[in-house]
Amino acid sequence: MNDVVKHDSSRRDVSTESRQTVTLWPAVDIYEEDNALYVVADMPGVPHDGLQLEVDNNVLSIEGEISLDMPEGMSAIYAELRGQRFARRFTLSHEIDSEAIEARLENGVLNVRLPKKETHRRRRIEIQAA
Amino acid sequence: MFGDLKRFDTHQYQPDWFQQLFDSLFPDTGAADIRSVPRGSFPLINVGRTDDAVHVYVFGAGLTAGDLEISIQDNVLTLQGKRGTQDEDDAGEKARSHYRRERASGEFSRTIALPEGLDPDRAEAQFSNGVFRIHLPKRAELKPRRVEIQAA
Repeated sequence: MNDVVKHDSSRRDVSTESRQTVTLWPAVDIYEEDNALYVVADMPGVPHDGLQLEVDNNVLSIEGEISLDMPEGMSAIYAELRGQRFARRFTLSHEIDSEAIEARLENGVLNVRLPKKETHRRRRIEIQAA
Repeated sequence: MFGDLKRFDTHQYQPDWFQQLFDSLFPDTGAADIRSVPRGSFPLINVGRTDDAVHVYVFGAGLTAGDLEISIQDNVLTLQGKRGTQDEDDAGEKARSHYRRERASGEFSRTIALPEGLDPDRAEAQFSNGVFRIHLPKRAELKPRRVEIQAA
């Protein structure tokens, strides 16, 4: 009898596990140009209102809920993208001006521009002939 | 819904098991340094079925209608196209230092086999938010039919 109870509880664990929302890591490109850092993230299926961008304590978090137009009664027969949301975080360096961050979402691609603070901008150093 | 399917394993950019373990032990380290330096198939495809059609979802972030060519032959669906890199878009710009380059770029071609009994002549495709949805209706003779039970 004890065995039966044990079995039951382990099965319940498995089912709740599979029902958890699966979070994916969006693929990103990160590059630096002149006075800003740029983050480009692939987030297909994420609409404008499903996207959340936050800077807290020097951590940039990108989160997006995937919303697909799915007809009722559809069953999955093949899936490569298995997840309901995208999420990824990055630690920013101190020279980023978090007040001036700009973002744009276009065709499922998120573009974030992280400008550097005025005081941290690159200065050209003149080399003088001796 | 697609999250329940675990039969197919593809190369998707995901943190490896060690990193996942580490992240679960030390949740705060989940944030990677933006400058730290460390790929998969593009685009990803999901397929779903309803009683009267098969729906193919193509996750092609950054593609527009003109960038993707969809063709069907003998129940085989082929997706071809090209995703340009941003460097190409603004060519001639100053040098960029890249810290991460995970996003696939360039030409791609993907092929998947579709279930039998579809009518490719009535296929439709639309796209929004970087996802292309291809609607492939089943042939009328293959749709499930309700059988009436008559009183004897």
